[in-house]
Amino acid sequence: MPSNNYLRGFIEEIKDMPNRKTAPPIRPIERLDLPPVEIITLDNGLPVYLINLGTQEALKLELVYFAGRPYEQKQMVARATTSLLKEGTRQHSSAQIAETFDFYGSTLSIPQSLDTANLAFYSLNRHFAKVLPLLTEILTEPTFPEQELASFILRNQKNLREDLAKNEVLAYRKITELIFGESHPYGYNSTPETYGALNRDDLEAHFQRCFTIENSVLFLSGKIDDKIIGQLNKHLGQLDRKGRPTMNVLPEIPRNPAKVRIDHPGTVQSAIRIGCRLFDRKHPDFPGMHVLNTLLGGYFGSRLMANIREEKGYTYNIYSMMDPMRFDGSFYIGTEVGKEFTENSLKEIYHEMDLIRQEPVEEEELAMVRNYLLGSFLSMIDGPFNVADVVKTLVLEDLPLDNFSQMVEATRLTSAEELLQLAQRYLLPEKMWEVVVG
Amino acid sequence: MAAVNVLYNVGARDESPDKTGFAHLFEHLMFGGSANVPDFDDPIQMAGGENNAFTNNDITNYYDILPAQNLETALWLESDRMLSLNFDERVLEVQRKVVVEEFKETCLNEPYGDVWHHIADMAYKVHPYRWPTIGKVPKHVEDATLQDVKDFFYKYYRPNNAILVVAGNVEEKEVRRLTEKWFADIPAGQTPLRNLPQEPPQKALQQRINQARVPSDALYLAFHTPARNHPDFYATDLLSDILGNGSSSRLFRRLLKEQQLFSQIDCYITGSLDPGLFIIEGKPSAGITLEEGEAVIWKELEMLLAAPIPERELQKIKNKVESNLVFSELNVLNKAINLAFFELLGDADIINREIDLYRQVTSDDLWRVAKEVFTHENCSELYYKTELPVKEVLT
Repeated sequence: MPSNNYLRGFIEEIKDMPNRKTAPPIRPIERLDLPPVEIITLDNGLPVYLINLGTQEALKLELVYFAGRPYEQKQMVARATTSLLKEGTRQHSSAQIAETFDFYGSTLSIPQSLDTANLAFYSLNRHFAKVLPLLTEILTEPTFPEQELASFILRNQKNLREDLAKNEVLAYRKITELIFGESHPYGYNSTPETYGALNRDDLEAHFQRCFTIENSVLFLSGKIDDKIIGQLNKHLGQLDRKGRPTMNVLPEIPRNPAKVRIDHPGTVQSAIRIGCRLFDRKHPDFPGMHVLNTLLGGYFGSRLMANIREEKGYTYNIYSMMDPMRFDGSFYIGTEVGKEFTENSLKEIYHEMDLIRQEPVEEEELAMVRNYLLGSFLSMIDGPFNVADVVKTLVLEDLPLDNFSQMVEATRLTSAEELLQLAQRYLLPEKMWEVVVG
Repeated sequence: MAAVNVLYNVGARDESPDKTGFAHLFEHLMFGGSANVPDFDDPIQMAGGENNAFTNNDITNYYDILPAQNLETALWLESDRMLSLNFDERVLEVQRKVVVEEFKETCLNEPYGDVWHHIADMAYKVHPYRWPTIGKVPKHVEDATLQDVKDFFYKYYRPNNAILVVAGNVEEKEVRRLTEKWFADIPAGQTPLRNLPQEPPQKALQQRINQARVPSDALYLAFHTPARNHPDFYATDLLSDILGNGSSSRLFRRLLKEQQLFSQIDCYITGSLDPGLFIIEGKPSAGITLEEGEAVIWKELEMLLAAPIPERELQKIKNKVESNLVFSELNVLNKAINLAFFELLGDADIINREIDLYRQVTSDDLWRVAKEVFTHENCSELYYKTELPVKEVLT
């Protein structure tokens, strides 16, 4: 008999041999909490959410005004105003502003948002003090030069014409217009005419009315110290435009969904969109629908992907998604399929919706979706900029910060029974608009 | 979170001319099950993670990102598909269709989607960069056989032809133990010999006019540039930044914003391992012809040759590069992918010296490289024209 010591060594060696037939044990994700967020107020009352987590000497500052489409007095004025802020002030030309930001390695981007006007600004800590005055200046006295607006309009009209050659763009525009209606802030589409109708006074008026301290909130993430806060106060803390814009009354939402076909000769694929109005993040069914949507078409292992891509090979990609907004929301399924597969793809999409309404999901599949989502929650709070995005979403949609943990818990506790009920409530073919372009 | 990145030293440049698009099709097959794992995605998702991959002319790169405590799941999966695929005829059949749909979605159904087919075909006559990663024609993908798949796997997908990177919230000792455990017993293969025909210097301007159903005319200029590991790579990259990176860059500021001759203009380098391309692409504004658009671009290029770049402008571009490098380090997956790529270049540690390599570039270097790159003989010029007469499109 070998000695005990010998045996122990031997067992340890065996233990480290790979057993390829069996998956290594998976350790579940335990509690998931949003890292601490500090909320301060600048001298002028501007609220700032601080996410101080960085390892690198880099910052992201996102300033958000409630100045999106629901506040417009003319279509497209919100986007135009935000885009033109950096195109000239009383002291500096568009070229000077661009050169200064570039010289200090900073980036100013204008993320798309229907509800709000966002300015996302990235800078290394050591250059922050040099670019902050200019950032403040474009928020204080932008001049919206006539020729800059004229070129913005021409460029956008041309880019729009190019976009309209794409089936997926036509399909997206149509389905959102159908769901919310063509005059609704969430439903209307830009046209060459809406761009052409914009003038300087519209932008100026939108700016004066909406870009006020009482109507804005700031998110700062990265490696933050007192010096940074001091600089922030010295500049953005001195903005002083007052006032709160009133929001437009939102139009009625269309009923009686229909099927729409748009012929686009000469294209080899059809773009399909199937969707309906849903709800915003505050709705009690939101967490459950988040799970159900993932199961149906929200990740690679989803039912739609497994069937229509991985089994049938009709498409390169198919997805379903929820698009929550501040005052409403939508749900839709989207894909591009070879034209010869259009009818079969539609049939299979509705078939998957039927199945999910008729049969409770098996425990193994539910566990996979649940674990996948818990992992995605974990990656949502990995790093300062990701955390800032979570915080921003919650704040802008009027949710408490602990909503994040509530979503996590709700996801952990979702049952097959709950998902079945949600599917029967929301995934109803008779409630769906259908658009096929191709 | 933890990121696992496996880079295989094989790309579209290793394909044979009558079987193009194969490296990319193969990438799809790597998700269709391996020796002991029927499906790659299920266990990763069960472990709370996600995965994906990309193929280009030079490499095929796979990555997984998952909660750090489940790192071993990714190593198990990656090692099993490195050990052996299951070579399932049915998987091949479906993925051929999926890739053909991808071909349609990105090239055939997308306006200007075949631009890269034209540029590659004009700029390269002998080097395999003459076809794009997606493949020359869908037929090559449709014709792929299981025997092709097996041959490719045993030739290129061996541990001695791969680079593994683990990054994130992990302990080095534990990572060493786990990688040893899962990868050590995978047999090495023969080192694949790469003997690609190198592209001779281009002697004359290449021109092509392509007509297609696109909404407006577009212009593409492609210039040959040094390889990724050539010392002049950094100067070439900075030249593309001077012209096209940021809203103060020369082409964007002067031609699009100030003179309004273009509605879109962009400039970038391919950065490929073998000598690559410097691309300038733009869509002229309404009323501006492609010839006029091209002439003003050449005027900008000639200005680069006429006078050295002002010191402040050079400093601006270097500051931007530094910022980009710092911001890209914030993401653990980026870090893992970059480390693998630099190791392929010869040394993972180059990643730490990148910023210095950019800083060392002088205005004289830029001038010298610009003179070599921006000549008519070194240029391929593609006019992409709308099939309809201009007047009709405008109404």
